Amino acid sequence: MSTLLVYKEQLQALYAKYAQYINKVLQFILALLVFGLINSNIGYMKLVSSAIATIGLSVICAFLPLIVLVVLASALILVQMFSLSLAALAVTGLVFFIMYVFYFRFTPDKAWIVLLTPIAFALKIPYVIPIALGLVGTPVCAVPVACGTIVYYMLHYVKTSSATLKGSGAASMIANITTFAKQLFQNKEMWVMTAALVLSLVVVNFIRTKSADHSWRIAVGAGVILNIVIVVIGDVTFNIHIAYLPLILTNILAVGVGLAMEFLFFTVDYTRTERMQFEDDEYYYYVKAVPKITISVPEKTVKKINERQNTETIDAADIKKVVEKQKQNTSNIERKKTVSKNAIPKGKITTHDETDKELLERSLKKDLGLK
Amino acid sequence: MLNEERVRLMTRMAAYEDGKGREDMKISRYYRKDYASLHTLITILWLTFGYAALIGLIGIAYMEPLMKNLTLTKLILLGCVIVGIYLILVVVYGASASNIYKNRHGRAKQRVKQYYRDLSRLKKMYEKEKK
Repeated sequence: MSTLLVYKEQLQALYAKYAQYINKVLQFILALLVFGLINSNIGYMKLVSSAIATIGLSVICAFLPLIVLVVLASALILVQMFSLSLAALAVTGLVFFIMYVFYFRFTPDKAWIVLLTPIAFALKIPYVIPIALGLVGTPVCAVPVACGTIVYYMLHYVKTSSATLKGSGAASMIANITTFAKQLFQNKEMWVMTAALVLSLVVVNFIRTKSADHSWRIAVGAGVILNIVIVVIGDVTFNIHIAYLPLILTNILAVGVGLAMEFLFFTVDYTRTERMQFEDDEYYYYVKAVPKITISVPEKTVKKINERQNTETIDAADIKKVVEKQKQNTSNIERKKTVSKNAIPKGKITTHDETDKELLERSLKKDLGLK
Repeated sequence: MLNEERVRLMTRMAAYEDGKGREDMKISRYYRKDYASLHTLITILWLTFGYAALIGLIGIAYMEPLMKNLTLTKLILLGCVIVGIYLILVVVYGASASNIYKNRHGRAKQRVKQYYRDLSRLKKMYEKEKK
């Protein structure tokens, strides 16, 4: 466990260091998936469905805010629909317009969830979405998830029934619009899936925000069970033929994703939980404090081991000679200094006795008045 | 000499001017009530168009079952249900929009105030430096 925590810390540090680049790469991958899926499923206009156009759009979107990706993806879908038939364009345009009016006018920053949900459907892992967003998001995320589910089923219908939607002329256009709208609103599978994802997300978020021990794990479990129960009830009631094995496998994957997210965002130690009770003038407080598990990453110190360098060998006798010479020099200098203080000519003085003699002579001459 | 505090202040102000500053300046030109009322009205207008589109789509989808056995009483009842839902939506969206835009105005006003406070601090710093 501690090794995993160390890896987590290292991962967080790495992300913090290169967040700018990592975000761009993730945005590019998201854009590539979105445009790739749109073009591979409903790529009726060849000009914008080519690999170059897909990559080019993805690169552009990687450097722009996420809302641009949403706008471009919507525009691409509308262009492809226009290429198929005016009926498809009209219905899709109306659906997008309704979504914009009822929700995205207020919170455009959550619009990317609408893209994520169809991607999850296309990758056959839709049940991961309510678990993941319920754990890290808010209950409001249920609205874009529902919109994303509708968008996926709409595109899925266009993909499977493109032949019936084709046709020119006013009569066929009205007939196509009616068929498309009917399919959209009477698609029981779509409504069952929407109900499952929305309810699961709300329940996961509701349980996750509770202060009970292991609330994240309970939330994941409840969300997965709710997913399965609603889909099975919907299948039995409306006879929509949903395969149970992929349903169970995807939900097991959702459990895995939920546990991974708990490990990444909510690592706490319930054994060290503290409960406190106190009061002030207005309230009684019942506080539950759960400590986070933190681990310090061991710092690696790099020790440089260099090649041994040979030093020069010096003879001890030579060193002694040099030291003696230095001593002699210093004693001579000191002596010279003391002599100069008494203003005695330098050249005449050679030994200590001579100096004394000279000094005595001078003092006698002075005393006796001799010159 | 480079004044570190001044540079920090100017960077913060420049970031604000490039980001939320523009929108905040527009918002702060309105009184809170005017801003909230205007945007609530716009929201209700959008809602009306959106609701019409939704009813139109549902109408197209369920045209055949609706047309079967359609009587005047059923038609009036249907009209009342549609109008009733519309009124409920208008009340809900109107109240929510009013709340959202009032909060948005309040936050924008606070940020603009902080920006002006920073401006006057910057001015004082320059004056101090001149002396």
